[in-house]
Amino acid sequence: MILGRVVGQVWATRRDPRLARAKLLVVRPHGIYEPPLGTRHLVATDEVHAGIGDDVVVCLGKPARLSLDSNDMPVDAAILGVVDRVELDPAGLTDAGAAPGIRRPLVTGVGR
Amino acid sequence: MLLGRVVGRLWAARQASTLGGRKLLLVQPESASSARGGGAEAPSRLIVAVDGLDAGPGDRVIVAHGSRVRDLTVGADVADKDVVIAIVDDLEIAP
Repeated sequence: MILGRVVGQVWATRRDPRLARAKLLVVRPHGIYEPPLGTRHLVATDEVHAGIGDDVVVCLGKPARLSLDSNDMPVDAAILGVVDRVELDPAGLTDAGAAPGIRRPLVTGVGR
Repeated sequence: MLLGRVVGRLWAARQASTLGGRKLLLVQPESASSARGGGAEAPSRLIVAVDGLDAGPGDRVIVAHGSRVRDLTVGADVADKDVVIAIVDDLEIAP
């Protein structure tokens, strides 16, 4: 899972039928990830009623598909939580004492 | 998933049977700011995506990646893991 901020919303009439009821939001991953995603954004389905400006937890890959009422959603990213508060140890963000799991490559799988 | 702009279509006379007959699109991934019209950003690599929705050049699309996504949409026999899953009508990006 990654932390990010919702910066936009997408509307699409023509879409895969399994996505018919999915709300699609544009998320900018937080800067703690290195290297940053090339496009600096990703699109994720939303089932927790997040809105623009919310900090969210985004799940990538297979677990993202196990959402909503179907486990066969053709998606690779889903918003699974709206963040109320985050505590980060600044020392853990330096290269030297990197906190495991935080300062690691941000892999979204697209365009590899 | 990624937002991208379809910038072209790809034809190949000689291709593996696992791509046979599939419509292939060239997709330029967009950043959130360039999607908003905030000017050009560093170009990222073009994606060759399989089209399951009849998208065309100029369309803004959402591309999902992965073998399971591919299996669920265009079929398990296709040798491409990037699939167009939606054609964007409208987009709101916060300033």
